[in-house]
Amino acid sequence: MPLLKIDDLEIEVKNGTTVLEAALENGIDIPYYCYHPALEIVGSCRMCLVQVEGMPKLQVSCNTFVGEVPPERKVDGNFDMVVQTQNDLVIQERKNILEFLLLNHPLDCPVCDQAGECYLQDYSFKFGNAHSRFDEDKRVRPNEYLGSQIVINHNRCILCSRCTRFTREISGTSELFVDERGYSSKIAALEDRPLNNLLAGNVADICPVGALLSTDYVHKNRIWNLQKKSSVCQDCSVGCNIDAFYQKRKIFRLNPRENQDVNGYFMCDIGRYGFHRFEDLERVTRPLFKSNGIFSEISWDTAIEKIGDKFNGAEEKVAGVLSPFHTNETNFMLGRLIKGIIGTFPHIEDEEITYPSGFRISSDRSPNKRGMHDVCPSIVDDLASEINDKEIRVIYILDNEIDKEIDETWNKILTKMDFIVVQAYAMTRLAKSAHLILPGLAPFEREGTITNDQGRVQWLRSVLPNNGESRPDWEILNLLYKTGERFSDINELMKGMGEQFPSYSGMTFFKLGDQGLPLNGNLKT
Amino acid sequence: MATIIKSYEPTFWDKLYIPALVQGLLVTFKHLLRKKVTIQYPEEKLIPPEGYRGLHRLNKDANGRIKCVACDMCSAACPADCIDIIPGSSPWDDGKERYPVSFEIDLLKCIFCGFCEMACPEEAIELTEIYDFSDYTREKLIIDKDGLLDVYDKTKDKNYYSNSQNLTIKE
Repeated sequence: MPLLKIDDLEIEVKNGTTVLEAALENGIDIPYYCYHPALEIVGSCRMCLVQVEGMPKLQVSCNTFVGEVPPERKVDGNFDMVVQTQNDLVIQERKNILEFLLLNHPLDCPVCDQAGECYLQDYSFKFGNAHSRFDEDKRVRPNEYLGSQIVINHNRCILCSRCTRFTREISGTSELFVDERGYSSKIAALEDRPLNNLLAGNVADICPVGALLSTDYVHKNRIWNLQKKSSVCQDCSVGCNIDAFYQKRKIFRLNPRENQDVNGYFMCDIGRYGFHRFEDLERVTRPLFKSNGIFSEISWDTAIEKIGDKFNGAEEKVAGVLSPFHTNETNFMLGRLIKGIIGTFPHIEDEEITYPSGFRISSDRSPNKRGMHDVCPSIVDDLASEINDKEIRVIYILDNEIDKEIDETWNKILTKMDFIVVQAYAMTRLAKSAHLILPGLAPFEREGTITNDQGRVQWLRSVLPNNGESRPDWEILNLLYKTGERFSDINELMKGMGEQFPSYSGMTFFKLGDQGLPLNGNLKT
Repeated sequence: MATIIKSYEPTFWDKLYIPALVQGLLVTFKHLLRKKVTIQYPEEKLIPPEGYRGLHRLNKDANGRIKCVACDMCSAACPADCIDIIPGSSPWDDGKERYPVSFEIDLLKCIFCGFCEMACPEEAIELTEIYDFSDYTREKLIIDKDGLLDVYDKTKDKNYYSNSQNLTIKE
């Protein structure tokens, strides 16, 4: 393996590694704009220039590969390459490059939505000049819509071409290109082919400056006001890893988080803007009991007592409806609780979309169908007919999609029921049909594990705090157990789940971490 | 080791008390003849000097529109965390993209340090000379965008207290 010396650090790297990659991996900071690990290397921004011993000029480190050289050509008889990243020449060169990049860049950081997470801002602060020597007027161009969700501010663009490479390589749709040449170059999309693919939101993320903006987030908040929590997207069974940015009780945006085993660096727009449908819902925050068609608030104790009575009276004539939108823990708890039959609502398949880069949007738009079946093997195929056959009179339903339609068959079943309990977070159509509503948590409030369609268990972290008297869904079900059978906390519950289902054994939140774990010995595609 | 502190032994003249009395009264009579420094607040009000840091205002530009671009620099600089801004896209289409949909200052939290004024890139927020804005409820002391723009109208031309109306007590 070639021996590389960067500054004072001597490292062995794989043949064909770039200097930039080697430096970043070893904690040496080289600034860059156009380089992105998922995209082709172009070396157009020139920001990552370094001095390589034996080469006449500075080299772009993102496009300089380290290779083995014959013994007689080794530097100091030992190194295959010696790189300087912090000497005066390199620092001066960075200053010069930044001066060029800032020629036409407006100084509008206070109104720019990228401010606070802008590479240009950071590097200017670190390496740049405090004053511009450019006396002429700056080039000013109006903003343009590239697609329905993406706006480009041409003035701020530094033409790193990350976005054009993204549409070419990742989404494979090639909507964006660099229009015209030289001083009049700009990022553009054809009029009849706007940037409207389902991965479009990613170009705003990968833009190193504030040129590409998502209309969903533009002028909404400043990044330093937001808090970040890592979680998992719940809009399809791929389970893309995300960072949720929130302030107080409101989510402002979702960004993809790197996980090479799941989503790479990106996420789709279905998931990115999906959180909006949980806003402004009529939330259920206290247990509600329906008498004479009107819901009235009752206390938790009375609610639990009422359910206990009905369950005892109905004995085996109880049905439980699991939900692929809930965590493994909640589904496991309900599956264990119900003595009668367990099933789920008929599943609606959507369109499966696969991009040339391998990025996938699953046809199954629920996050945890795989996990639900894993932890409840006794799920019946056709719940509706089973309920009719066995004359079930009491049913316990975990909420489903927020806009779940109840079809004719189910309407008939639900009207025939003596007692319907729905565990829900909002007044959905399903909740309205219930006799008793128990307030659970909304998708971004839940904590637990979910299993994606590839059999990867991931830690779904709660982002927002609980609302009112609502309780975690597994905890509500825990209350319905006899005192001796209850779990003390969610870790205990995961342990219990692991004992019953060996593929889930030994899993803890700590072990799952940010990246999740494949099911034990049960990984299949 | 214990130290013995000797207490002051009054002399004969001290015991008379009269010299001390005369000395004190001299000070009193000297001040009786000087110019009075007490201001009869609230009938009479102190006019603060320039640079006094009192109630905030939001400035307007030449077109009478709010200058603020809701950049959040003031709230980031604020050590008391009393500024609450909700930004939004502006209704005007002449290059000014951002403006505050809501701009609230909690005057009870504010420590009147003037950092917001210093942080503002648009010279939109300023502290004025108004100091008497007390009220009976906490809610009334959260000043909103309209209130702050009102303060600008009241103070833009001259010192707030040089207007005789503001010097009298409001019923």
